[in-house]
Amino acid sequence: MTQHTEQDTPVIELRHVDKHFGDLHVLRDINLSVARGEVLVVIGPSGSGKSTMCRTINRLETIDSGEVLIEGVPLPEEGRELAAMRAELGMVFQSFNLFAHKTILENVTLGPIEVLGQDRASAEKTARELLARVGVAEQADKVPAQLSGGQQQRVAIARSLAMRPKAMMFDEPTSALDPEMINEVLDVMVELARGGMTMVVVTHEMGFARRVADRVVFMADGRIVEEGTPDEFFDHPKTDRAREFLDSIKGH
Amino acid sequence: MGLVELLSTYGQDYATALFTTWWMTAVSFAVVMVLSVGITVLRVCPLRPLRAVGDLYVQVFRNIPGVALLIIVVYALPNLRVVLDYRTCVIVTTVLMGSAFGSENFMSGINTIGVGQIEAARSIGLRFSQIMSRIVIPQALRSAVLPMTNLLIAVMLTTSLGSQVPLSPQELTGIVSYINTRATGGILAFLIAALGYVGTAAVIGLVGNRIDRKVRILR
Amino acid sequence: MSARNNRASIRDALYEAPGPRTRRRMHVATAVSAVLVLMGIAAIVRQFYVTGQLAPRYWSFLTRPTTWAFLLQGFRGTVSVALVAGAIALVLGLLLMLGRMSSIRALSAACRGVIDFFRGVPSLLLIYFFFLVVPQYGIKLSSFWMITLPVALAASGVLAEVLRAGVNAVPAGQVEAARSIGMRPAQIMRTVILPQAVHFVIPSLISQLVVVVKDTTVAYVVSYPDLMQNARVLITNYDALVSMYLTVALVYILLNYAINKLSGIVARRMGVTIVR
Repeated sequence: MTQHTEQDTPVIELRHVDKHFGDLHVLRDINLSVARGEVLVVIGPSGSGKSTMCRTINRLETIDSGEVLIEGVPLPEEGRELAAMRAELGMVFQSFNLFAHKTILENVTLGPIEVLGQDRASAEKTARELLARVGVAEQADKVPAQLSGGQQQRVAIARSLAMRPKAMMFDEPTSALDPEMINEVLDVMVELARGGMTMVVVTHEMGFARRVADRVVFMADGRIVEEGTPDEFFDHPKTDRAREFLDSIKGH
Repeated sequence: MGLVELLSTYGQDYATALFTTWWMTAVSFAVVMVLSVGITVLRVCPLRPLRAVGDLYVQVFRNIPGVALLIIVVYALPNLRVVLDYRTCVIVTTVLMGSAFGSENFMSGINTIGVGQIEAARSIGLRFSQIMSRIVIPQALRSAVLPMTNLLIAVMLTTSLGSQVPLSPQELTGIVSYINTRATGGILAFLIAALGYVGTAAVIGLVGNRIDRKVRILR
Repeated sequence: MSARNNRASIRDALYEAPGPRTRRRMHVATAVSAVLVLMGIAAIVRQFYVTGQLAPRYWSFLTRPTTWAFLLQGFRGTVSVALVAGAIALVLGLLLMLGRMSSIRALSAACRGVIDFFRGVPSLLLIYFFFLVVPQYGIKLSSFWMITLPVALAASGVLAEVLRAGVNAVPAGQVEAARSIGMRPAQIMRTVILPQAVHFVIPSLISQLVVVVKDTTVAYVVSYPDLMQNARVLITNYDALVSMYLTVALVYILLNYAINKLSGIVARRMGVTIVR
């Protein structure tokens, strides 16, 4: 028996995960592990199941069979335990999903106050620091609708960071953004990656994948078809499916 | 009959009628709000049988004509040994109809929130009760202000059903038919009552708009 | 699978996919609530039974063709009042809306006043106006018009606002485009704005028919033979008050439910939202 230290237990692990939407087999025997500090980029054509896979990690999507483990512990199925586990995982959505009735500052302090039980003053102090870090400090007292998409997404990242997550999932974080705003969000993500955050990023931004990813996973038809380092994957894809996909996006 | 004569003869009756309309409106609306919340809870709760009851309630009472419901409450219920006095009958009718629309307003308030915010709330570890109390209910209430303002006006107009049963004192529509059957009040007799309604509706609208502007959620 | 989530109703989205513990609790709670609902229904049925309201003599008249023929006659009355009132209200509402949106200040203010008046007054008061006040000025109206006109006036104010919402929904760029090719304001209104505005609000107009149908039920005030009035006549003949009123109420509910459903279907087909 090998002794596992805290260091080599994967932060996120999916074992033989299967999921159907009705007749559609959206996830087929997914096996994946993400090590501490690793940046994993998931790419693939739309409908390949990459978003669904990302959302199973904190059970926004349930699975039919298989296991999701967070630091070696099976993801709880419900209740307080599940909520507590989710609090330790950050999630950033395509459509930002900021709380429309709360100010930017309140969006970031809600979790720390309600879930972590921090007092308001210290939650606000941390929140302001985080907002400064993602470059929207001056917007703290506005409401989400007054911000640009890029700013909203950076607030959403700050909201996740305020929970001091063990890992963060990004579900196509730049897909809903105007082109000129994509980089401001990607820059924040690059900073996070450099700071050692464990990240799962579902994205179409190949430049980001190449620059930041430790590993690239290519999904198609609910399967992980190929995985490897960015250089291996982008320069020498092993499968036809991946080659086709890469050719199709090179076209633009 | 001129304005002066009309007011000197019936001025007191008009004032009483206006207050009666206001009073019935206020009582009805208060109960409507409470019941709307209750019906909405039934409709969003996860238990299918209760949802079905809530949905059926809304379909029945938003589609039934006020007069038909009033007649059932006044004339049919006593045959089932449910006897209410006339004023209560009018209020019950108004409340049943109003709460169906009130629940619809709350439901559409909930619907504007969107699945995304709820998933985001879940993702930062909020539990169901916290999601309801911090995210769903505050937003539903705030976006319901304007529809509820309109509902308050609708409730006031519905209390005019009181003219169809003997009430003492009468409300504002009843008083017009009372005056016109006793004397030829002409168009003035009608306009005075109309002014009472329109004026009240205008004030309600004004206040509602002001509150809405304060609490409206930008989207 | 965001598309799937968008289609899911929010009331389902409030709840997570249940875990095993929650699922067990849900089964129990659903069973308990079903029993409660059934007990409620049983209590109501029992009340009908103990008060003798389930006796065949109260319900047998429903099997007679003459009953239904007479009700159908009343139903026709209801439909004709509703349709004529709806048509008048549409024309009047359109005129009021055009007036309200006119650049002539006085006209706009006057139309706004009229719209607010008809929206702020109970239709019963308008009915009493036509029933009690209008005859005082020597104007003789048939019972049909005594019910149809007030119902139409009450609806016209609301329809004017619905139509205005439709006009406001027409993109401003189209007006600019029309102006840039030299069209005059009246022409733009007639050929560019109105057709689209009406298109936007067709489902809303249909759903407003529900309000019109409801308002017609006070036709008995002016003794016009609509569904409700004919039901009252039948009650004096058959002494079956509870069953008769419940039957008629059900007819109204189903009619209005159908209108609302139709409005919803049309709205979905046309991809527009319903303004109330």
